Amino acid sequence: MVLAYQIAMENPQMVLAEGVEAMEFQELSSRYLISGVPDTVINADAGRVVGAIPEQQMLAELMRSIGK
Amino acid sequence: MEKLLPPDIVKQIGDVFQQLKHPVQILFFGTEKHCEYCSETRQLLEEVTEISELISISIHDVHKEPDLAKLYKVEGKAPATVIAAREGDQITDFGIRYLGIPSGHEFTTLIQAILLVSGRDSGLNPQTREYVKSLTRPLHLEVFVTPT
Repeated sequence: MVLAYQIAMENPQMVLAEGVEAMEFQELSSRYLISGVPDTVINADAGRVVGAIPEQQMLAELMRSIGK
Repeated sequence: MEKLLPPDIVKQIGDVFQQLKHPVQILFFGTEKHCEYCSETRQLLEEVTEISELISISIHDVHKEPDLAKLYKVEGKAPATVIAAREGDQITDFGIRYLGIPSGHEFTTLIQAILLVSGRDSGLNPQTREYVKSLTRPLHLEVFVTPT
């Protein structure tokens, strides 16, 4: 979660980072079929990262899902 | 009203908040309509805010202040917490939100988010910084969590 916040902070004009409590926002969690947490949804399912991952891996997933 | 945070936790947070550098503005968005955790979230945030002079809070309603809710992209989402920077009266949005009650493990996340914003530096490595800065299209990260 904090990693997503760090990313937003680097470019807040372009990035929105939301932590979502899955039980309270069930409409959102069922839309993305959330089963385990943390689960990071990138641009409404352009990419997905399940579990807490290191920064390098997140960067790779961002590049893969939304491009360089 | 009974406090949500016990004194020993308040002291611990106070110690951690010694690291705060610059002012932080918390914007709380609730609603009077059906909202199970709005009042508790608000109280929790107010108690955290009281621990340091560098943290301020403003209380809003997603339905009564639709323009502000839209500005902060929290329309219809309550409880929502925006952790932003403040210089005087100027609020700078860093795109950092938490939807729901920040309790349990996510309470730690809230404290970390406050420290992060207060430091005014993402702390990311140079490669990630360069990539994120170069983005020309919006990036939306939704991190789903549970409070346990």
